[in-house]
Parts: sequence; C-alpha cells; structure tokens
Amino acid sequence: MNSVTSHIEIIILLPLITGILLFLIPDKLKLFKGISSILISAVALFFAFQTYFTEVFNGQINLFELRFLSLPDNDSLLSAVTAFTMLNIDSLARLIVLLICFFSFLILIYSIVYSNKERALKNYCSFILLTLGASVLTVFADSFLLFIFCWGFLGLTLYKLIKGYDEESSAAAKKTFIIIGASDGIMILGIAIIWKITGLYNMSEISIGTSDAIRITAFLALLIGSFTKAGAFPFHTWIPDYTKYAPASSSAYLPASLDKLLGIYFMFRICSEIFVVNQGLKLAILILGVLTIIIAVMMALVQHNYKRLLGYHAVSQVGYMIVGLGLGTVLGIAGGLFHMFNHAMYKAGLFLVAGNVEKNTGKEELDELGGLSKFMPVTYIAALIFALSISGIPPFNGFASKWMIYQGIIDFGKQPGLASNLWIIWLALAVIGSALTLASFIKFISGIFLGRIPDNTKIKEVNPAMWLPVIVLALVCLVAGVFAGKLVVPQLFGPVLGEISYTGIWDSSAIALLILFSVILGILVYLIGNLNKFRKDDSFIGGEVNRDQTGYEVTDFYKTIAEAPGFKHLYNMAEKKWFDIYDLSKGVVLKISHLFSAAHNGILSNLAFWVLAGLIFMFIFLLL
Amino acid sequence: MNHIVPFYIVLPLAAAFLISILGRFIKGFSKVTAGFIFFTLLCLSFFYIFSGDHSTIVYNIGGWEPVNNIPIGIYLILDPFSGFMLCIINTMAFLSALYAVSYISLYTGENYFYTLLCIMVAGLNGVVVTGDLFNLYVFLEITVIASYALVAFGTEKEELEASFKYQVLGGIATTLILFSIGMIYWYTKTLNIPDIAGILNKSPDEKIVQFCQLMLIAGFGLKAAIMPFHGWLPDAHSSAPSSISAMLSGVVIKAAGLYVIFRLFFNMFQLTYEISILITAIGTLSMVVGVFLAIGQWDLKRLLAYHSISQMGYVIIGVGMGMMILANNGNKAFASLAIMGGLFHLINHAVFKGLLFLNAGAIEYRLGTRDLNKMGGLFEKMPVTSATSLTASMAISGIPPFNGFFSKLVIIIAAVLAKYYILAALAVFVSIITLASFMKFQRYAFFNRKSIKKAVNEVKDVPFLMKFSMIVLAVLCLALSLILIPGIRDTILQPAVDVLMGKNDYYINLLNM
Repeated sequence: MNSVTSHIEIIILLPLITGILLFLIPDKLKLFKGISSILISAVALFFAFQTYFTEVFNGQINLFELRFLSLPDNDSLLSAVTAFTMLNIDSLARLIVLLICFFSFLILIYSIVYSNKERALKNYCSFILLTLGASVLTVFADSFLLFIFCWGFLGLTLYKLIKGYDEESSAAAKKTFIIIGASDGIMILGIAIIWKITGLYNMSEISIGTSDAIRITAFLALLIGSFTKAGAFPFHTWIPDYTKYAPASSSAYLPASLDKLLGIYFMFRICSEIFVVNQGLKLAILILGVLTIIIAVMMALVQHNYKRLLGYHAVSQVGYMIVGLGLGTVLGIAGGLFHMFNHAMYKAGLFLVAGNVEKNTGKEELDELGGLSKFMPVTYIAALIFALSISGIPPFNGFASKWMIYQGIIDFGKQPGLASNLWIIWLALAVIGSALTLASFIKFISGIFLGRIPDNTKIKEVNPAMWLPVIVLALVCLVAGVFAGKLVVPQLFGPVLGEISYTGIWDSSAIALLILFSVILGILVYLIGNLNKFRKDDSFIGGEVNRDQTGYEVTDFYKTIAEAPGFKHLYNMAEKKWFDIYDLSKGVVLKISHLFSAAHNGILSNLAFWVLAGLIFMFIFLLL
Repeated sequence: MNHIVPFYIVLPLAAAFLISILGRFIKGFSKVTAGFIFFTLLCLSFFYIFSGDHSTIVYNIGGWEPVNNIPIGIYLILDPFSGFMLCIINTMAFLSALYAVSYISLYTGENYFYTLLCIMVAGLNGVVVTGDLFNLYVFLEITVIASYALVAFGTEKEELEASFKYQVLGGIATTLILFSIGMIYWYTKTLNIPDIAGILNKSPDEKIVQFCQLMLIAGFGLKAAIMPFHGWLPDAHSSAPSSISAMLSGVVIKAAGLYVIFRLFFNMFQLTYEISILITAIGTLSMVVGVFLAIGQWDLKRLLAYHSISQMGYVIIGVGMGMMILANNGNKAFASLAIMGGLFHLINHAVFKGLLFLNAGAIEYRLGTRDLNKMGGLFEKMPVTSATSLTASMAISGIPPFNGFFSKLVIIIAAVLAKYYILAALAVFVSIITLASFMKFQRYAFFNRKSIKKAVNEVKDVPFLMKFSMIVLAVLCLALSLILIPGIRDTILQPAVDVLMGKNDYYINLLNM
C-alpha cells in the first residue's frame, strides 16, 4: 500500500465518522461542534493537498483495499461487495476533492460565527461533514453503484441544509428535494441500461457510443442527473428558490460550489469518457447551454432579492461550463472545467458576501439596502472582485475561463457538422450573456454597497471569521485570473487533457500588467491633468434614460427590459411559473390524481363492481 | 426441531384466550402477556432463519403419518420463505404491541385490543406455515375477522363504515377463495398443497385449473388490495388504530394476500406465461394508479394507505417479472434478481410503512387530527417523530442510504436486464411521485409554521414506548440495507428466493420425506 492511497481513506472516513458522531452531541455545544468540525475539515484539506501534489498513484483501487478498511483475507461476508466499491483516482478527481475540502474548510470557518436565528439548522456541522465525505466518495467512485449511492445521499444533505421555517421556505425545500430526487431516479435508469449493454459497472472500463435509441436514453438519463445537480436549464428551477430561503452558508456550500463541481465533473465523465457523443446530441447540449446562459441571466436582471439574483447567476454560469464541455474539443473542455473552478470560487464568495450583508443588516431586498461600502470595506472590495470576475472583466479569473470558452467555440467552428457551422450563434449568445451578467451585477453592487443609506443605523464590518474566507476566495479569483494562461490552467488541467494550445495570442499575465499599467496611467492623467476641474454629470443609472424629477431606485434598473412589449408577457408568464418544469409536472400529476380520486367515491356497490369487473376482465384475457 | 412449528400458532392463540379471561382481573396483564408472547415468537422466527439450516421442516398435526406417500393429515410446513414471512409478522407484531401500550389509551377496552391482536397474529402465522389449502382458508378467516373487529375498534361512524365495507368485500373474497378451493379439491381429490402440486404437475394445463387460478388471484388480490380489488383498503387502513394500521399495511396484506399468491402460483400451480403477465399487469396498475391517488390526499393515514397499494405494486412487479422470465425459460439469474428485489421490497415496505403509520399515530396522539392542513411546525415539538418519519419517508421514496433505495434499485436493474424497459421506467416514475407526496407530508406536518395553532405550541413528543418502537423501526430502515451484502443475503433473502425459484422442488421434497 503506497502512501497516497493511504491518505484517501482519511479524507473519506474522517468526515463521515465525525459527522455521525457529532449527531450525538447536543446542539447547545455549538462552538465545540464548530471547532471540531473545522479541525476535521482542516485535516481533510491537508491530506487532499498531499494527495493532489504528490502524484504517485493514478488508477483504480478498491475501497476495501484502503488501509483502515482492508478486509481479512478470507472474509466471505464482504468479499462479494468489493465488486461494487472500486475507486478511480486520477488527477481531475484529486483536484475536485481538493476543492471540495477547501470549500468545506472555508464554509465551516464562516459558519462558526454566521448564524441566523430563524434559519438556524439542527446538526448543521454534521451535515456539512457528511456532505464532505459523501462528495469525496462520489468523486472517487468508479463503480456506478457506489457513485449513485453517494450522489443520492447528497440530495438528502442538501435538503437538510435548508430549513422550512415558513410557507415559502418549506415549499422551496420540498421543491428542491423533489427535483433532485427525481433526477437521481432517472439516473438509476441510465445506470441500469449501461449495465445491460456492457455488463460492466465500473466507469473507467466503459466506453459506448450513442448510436441507437437505447444508448441515447442512457446518455440522456445520466445527463439529466448532471444537469439537475449543476442546475442547468430546464432543471434549474430549484436553485433560485433554494438560495433565497436557505442560510447563505448553505447556498455557498452546495448549490454554488459543491453541486457545480460534482455536476460538471460528472458531465465531463459521461461526455468525454463514458460515452462517445454524436453530432445531434452535441447540438442539443450546446442549445441547452446557451439557453441556460440567456434565460437565467434575463431572470436575474429583474430580481429584487439579492440572494435570488445570485441564485439565477449560479444557473446562468453553468451554461458556460456546459457549452465548454459540449464542444468536445480540448480547449473547450479545459475552458469549461476552468470555468467550473472559477465559478465555484466567485459564486461561493458572493454568497458569503450576501451572508455578511444579511447578518449585519437583516435585510434581503435590494431596495432596502445601500451605502454599505463605507461600513463594510473589506466585504465591499471582495464583492467588487467577485462581481468583476463573474462578469468576465480581465484580469480576474472569470474572464480567463470565458475567454478560453470563446476561443474553444471559434476553434470548434473549424470542424465539420451542423453544430460547428452554427458556432457564431453560440459565440454571440455567450458574449451577450456575459454582458447581461455585468449589467445585473451593477445592480447588485450599487444596490447594496453604493448609493444612499436608507436609515441611520450603525453597521460594523463583520467578524474576521466571516471576512477571512471571503478574502481568501477573492485572492484566489485574482491569482487564478492573472496567472491563468501559463501557470494555473496547465497545472490544473494539463494532467487531465494533455497539452492545451490556445488559438490566437493570449497571455493573462501580460494582460494583467497592461491593465494595471493603464489604470495607473489613468490615475496619473487624472492627477496631473484636472485634479480640480472634474466633469459633473448625472449619476449612472444602469443605462436608463434619466428623466427630470424621477429618482431611480436600483430595483428599477432594467425595468425597461421587463416592460418591453415582447418581454413583458414572457416575464409575467415566468412569474406565474409557466416555464418551471416542476410546476408544470405538478399540475399534470395533480390533474390525473383528481381524475382518479373522483372515481373513488367510496360507495360500496362501486367497489364491489370493480372486483367483478376485474374478475371478468381476467377471464376475458385468459379464457378467450 | 420440528416441534417448534405449532408454537407459532399455539402461543398467540393461547395468549388471546388468557388475556380475555385473566386480563380483566389483573391490571396490565394483557400488555405484558402480549409483549412477552410476541417477543418469544420473534425469537423463534429468527431462530429458524439464523439456525443456518435452510431445510424444510414438516410437522404433521395429530401425528398422522402419510400412507403410501399420500398425506392424510394437516401438514405444517416451515421453509425459508415461511420463515422470512414469520420474521416480518412477529417483528411488526412485537413493535406495534409495544407502541400500543401507550397509544391504546386513546381507546377503551385494551383487553379486547390485545386479544384481537393476538388472534390476528395467530391467524397470520397459521397462513404462513400451513401446508393445507383448507387450513389456509381457516387461518385466513381468523386473521380477517380479527381485522374487521380491529378496524371498527374506535366504534365511531367512520370506523364502523370502513369495517362494514371491509367485511362485505372480504366476504366476496372469501367466497371466491372457498369456491376455488372446492373446485381444486374436486379436481385433485386432496387439500394438501404439496400433494395438489404433484397431481397438477402430472396433468396437462386445463381450463378448470385456469379458472381456479383466476378466482384465487381475485380472492387473494382482494386481501392484498391490489387494483382493481383495493376498494376497502383506504377506508380500513385509515380508520383503524394506528398500531393496527401498521400491522394491516405492514403485514396483513402481505402475509394474507401476496404470500399466498406467490406460494400457490410458484409452488402449487404450474407457472404459465399468461398468468404471469396478468399478475404483473395488475401489479403495474396498482403501482401507478395507487401513487396518483395517494398524492392528492390530505388525510395523512389515507395517503399512507394508498401508498401501500402502490408499494405492493413494486413487490408484485418484482416477483411477477421473475414469474414471466421463469415461465419463458429465460435467464435464471435475472429471474432470481427480480424475485429478490420483490421480496426485499416486501420486507422493507413492512418496516417503513409500519413506521409511517406509527408516526401518523404519534401525531394523532398529540394533535388529535389526521388532516395535514391542521398540522404544522412539529419539527421542533416532536423531534423523534420528525426524525423517524423523515427516515421512513426517505426509505419509501428510495433515497440512499435507506433500505427502499436498494430494493427499488434491484427491481429497476432486474427490469432493465430482462428488457422490461417500460416497467423500469414506470418504477422510476412512480418512485418520483412517491418522493413528491412524502415531501408533502414532511412539509405540511413538520414545517410550515404558519398553519400552526396555539394548541400545537404545547405539544410534546410521545411517551417512551411509542418512541422506542419508532426508533427501532427507523434503525431497521437503515440496517435492512445491509441485507443486500452477499453474506447476509444468503442467510435471509436468498433461501426465500430459492424456494420460489425452485417451483416444483417444493412438493418433490415434501412428498419424498
């Protein structure tokens, strides 16, 4: 047994066992539970680092060959189980595990201070640790059965990390779990079909085409699973609801980071390794990808609740990853995976920022907030970095990965096929989506941090335990952006994808230097030129027409879009949940239910008649 | 070892008489006796399963030995499939008796309650171990008559109506069953099940046998409440005291309905493809329609009752697929997997549905209502009930790591392997709606604080013994997942599957003893 594999079981077992043990400790000892889980996650993070940076072992290993789990030689009880517990360890899996441990650590530090009386969860730390352990196992799992087992369990922890404290929040929790659980069920179907076709259940051994209907069904079933977890159109509708009502730390942990990591990681596995995707499916994936980008960002534009706004962006950004992975080219996949990495960083950061704001002000609507930049400078600067990142402004990381995806799309256009011929459409929509993201983050930043303070409350910066994780994430965003081209991307994804060659000239560090230089130049020009003779102008209100006598609230930004003739109707329908796959199917199911219930009026003679009818039907079936 | 067999029937029957006689003089006698007897039965059942000896045990009542290999007395036959059922019956009986210790204070006449419960268990154990067709009918009647009385136990308008419907439809079932038993007796000149199997095996497939088969499907289908014979179930299961609902849903429809169907159609009749299709078809119908009916319900126990119909559908399609494969001489491994999935789901359903009814009883015990709209916010007030009901809800919806996930997984995989893709897709679909309806239960009962009334604010969790039963069942919901581990599976599940897979071995072994 070599040293690397012996770390893996610590990362898996330690959080799971501690998570279960912490159930036994009453919630009153919150601090103790918090600190001990921070320690555990720190240990896991440490070993994940070691595993990631010491590249000794790659390949398949059985869960029960690991040190603490190794079986006695002639253990008949469990030996047959070992067929279903293969793990697959490669550099991408180790990267994802490292990220999972990293986020768990940050979120646990953050949650030790963050609390919200109404939304306080029971056994919060236990569920975070269980999620950590199960996610690590999901990522390493090679056997489909082990994989679906852990993957399904993550749905349960997701449900336990939101609290139903009133009508809406309990409805959101219910909706989330139904959608996630449904996708897990559909995945089982896909796994069973793969088993049927190949006779194998270890992912690393499987490679099947998508030539006939049954294989395509299997592929789609698994794709639905990954789309739902990551939150892509049309299975995304749980995310905005979840993020609105869940504690910010839960939102930052699962929908913003871990679910994205897992969903996109699994999509990478099925699209690039398990299945050979044909042109038609590629086209479908690309269409869904750009639809996700555009639809979610359009919805984000008109939100008033900042957590819900972030939730829609958590959906919209998935579109980029899907487009990247859907391209199937090395550059596209690298871009998609890098965007997954970046998105996890800045979106977790944004939710933590939202948590900070909520903790200090207790308000959730944009129009009740404003002017916090003076009181919470650290949070403000971090939020600004995240907002610039997500909007794809160089030199931050969001730009780097989006740029790679754009390059990937252009590169993809050189291939034959329908999906490739339409490259200009994918590119255009992706760029428009990015622009709209920027537009909506203007609203977010100015609504919370700029402008006037609604009332004269005294607000202090949050506790260091709450701003420290945010700063760490912001630094990662900056570093990953500046050093993307030469250092970060080859280091992270080189081992997975091989040499990544960019089209065109792009050097992220040089761009960063140029930007820095131009900013300094700008400041110099400003200082030298007209220190006192600055121009006066109307305040910027998101590009709206500035009329006399009208004060624009932040929430009124982009109202013109929402009230534009074509869009107004669409937004109204969206508001009435016309496009929500959950509400649509709920309506159908309840209709059928009422239909059947109407037949069950409980009149005895009817019941007896059914018995008779059933009997006669059986006779007709069999004896005639 | 064959002397333990009659104890499964004699012990609860004796307890029933003792309780009805002595119970009124000695305070607490009924509770202690019933609990003790059920615990003994529980130990006896597990003793057989874990004795490591999976041979069939035969006990001849009255010592009537067969003459020229023709059985003349009543046989009691204990084989792994019966043993498997006995474990379910007696575990559930023990736990619901414990639960009832506190719960029954909602009603009067606890002696009658325990008497009837003991009679019911005696009947169920009898159905499962008997090897005689008419004897089976007698035990069946003992069971259902006790259940009629127990359903009507509250003696309110609603309960009496439910019991009345149950009796009328049960009467129809009884007629059908008795009629076809008579026909079979006329045709084979014997009532001993192994003996009948031997005779039917020699004679070619006749219309008369098919006729009897259909009557039996309808009759026992009524007891098992599969569509379209389910009319009585929603009323009866929701009106009974909750500990009895747990027994009815968890055990009675299985032991008195499904067990007999499986036993007779695998081991007594010759498997035919048409009958297999028919059984699978009504199973599918139950599964799909049952869940649609369930999701629209606002009465908690009614919701659970409709889910019983739907979940029985899973059991039937699992075993039914195995029947179809066997009848087609298909791949035996797939058939075995499908049957295993069905039986695994059967034991799982007993546990989680029993638990859900106990949860419903706990809520009713404190709030006095079964209406989901009148509940709310119990998450903090009743933590044990809330946690155990979440466990059971997850189990029935097939969420890992609970037992329901594994049995559904096995059924779905078996369906796909045997190329019954539509059944697999329906199983997934129904599972999703099941999840949705249990999320509804969770949401309205335990969260949703706004609908809470002042009275609800003072609610406490239930007394210890009620909690205890619920916790044991919740732990079982987790622990039963382990049955799938091959070492354990070979002790509990696989022998029962092998009995069904063996088809004719049943009578061949028995007649040559």
